[in-house]
Amino acid sequence: MKRLPSRQQLVTLAGYAAAAAVYIAIGVAYTDFLLSVFVATAYLLIVMWVVPLAVRRLL
Amino acid sequence: MSWAAHDLEPYAIQRHWHWRLAFVPLLIGSYAPDLMTKWYVYGVHIGGTELKADNPAQFHRGWPGFGFTHSFIYGAVICLIFWKVLGSKNWGISFMIGQWAHALTDACDTLGTMLLFPWTYHFHIDAWAYAGQTGRMTDAAAYFSGLGGMWDLVWIVYGFLSWQVLTRGYFEQNVFTADGFWRLAKRALPMTALLILYRAAFFYGTSRWIAWTIWAHVIHHFPYDLSWGGPDWVPAEHP
Repeated sequence: MKRLPSRQQLVTLAGYAAAAAVYIAIGVAYTDFLLSVFVATAYLLIVMWVVPLAVRRLL
Repeated sequence: MSWAAHDLEPYAIQRHWHWRLAFVPLLIGSYAPDLMTKWYVYGVHIGGTELKADNPAQFHRGWPGFGFTHSFIYGAVICLIFWKVLGSKNWGISFMIGQWAHALTDACDTLGTMLLFPWTYHFHIDAWAYAGQTGRMTDAAAYFSGLGGMWDLVWIVYGFLSWQVLTRGYFEQNVFTADGFWRLAKRALPMTALLILYRAAFFYGTSRWIAWTIWAHVIHHFPYDLSWGGPDWVPAEHP
């Protein structure tokens, strides 16, 4: 296995880190948001897939 | 009980197992013991009525109660159902390994688990306090102030050190090909979405560990107590 991530992988990681920062901020303010893996999965799908897809189609 | 460990352990397990496990049942197995019971342990308010177990610890880990869900035999029975009834050996064994990991991890708290049910002895090593009976918020504060939270952190750090298991290449070569579930899912979703689904539990476990830690120690200033069986400021349940 590779020992260091590629530039593309670091960009992907940055995207997840940004998504996590927003998730954590919402979760600290409203802890109910932290209670379900299904909510987290839906959130992640929207932020990391649906929104970028929509933006790409709009541009 | 544990919080984020059950989200994170499956990533490490599937990496090190000597054959390719099916990730979805492995994760379901890791969640399974608490899937139906956690809400009733903490209690919920519905229309002004509180629904909560009279004895949360007994309900969650004991017998009579749902403590059998944290035993080896529970995982083995579900494994046999997947294998012999539904025809998937890999799903059965993957579920069982995930469920056993959950039961073993929860044996690290003060209440422990009936690993060898129907023998009702609770195996427990008392590393951190079981405080489910105090309600969700106090339990969270206690868990993320003691060794339980540190145990979760071990899995987070281990996950980042093993970052390769979260890459697209690893998913496509090892996870996708090990389980027909993903091929079925690919009829409805592109590979990008499947990859996000695969990473979701790691995202969830890591993010909520950070969020609850901030909530407990930055917003509310609960004291850390990393002593064995701590934190001592919460009343811990014992068998």
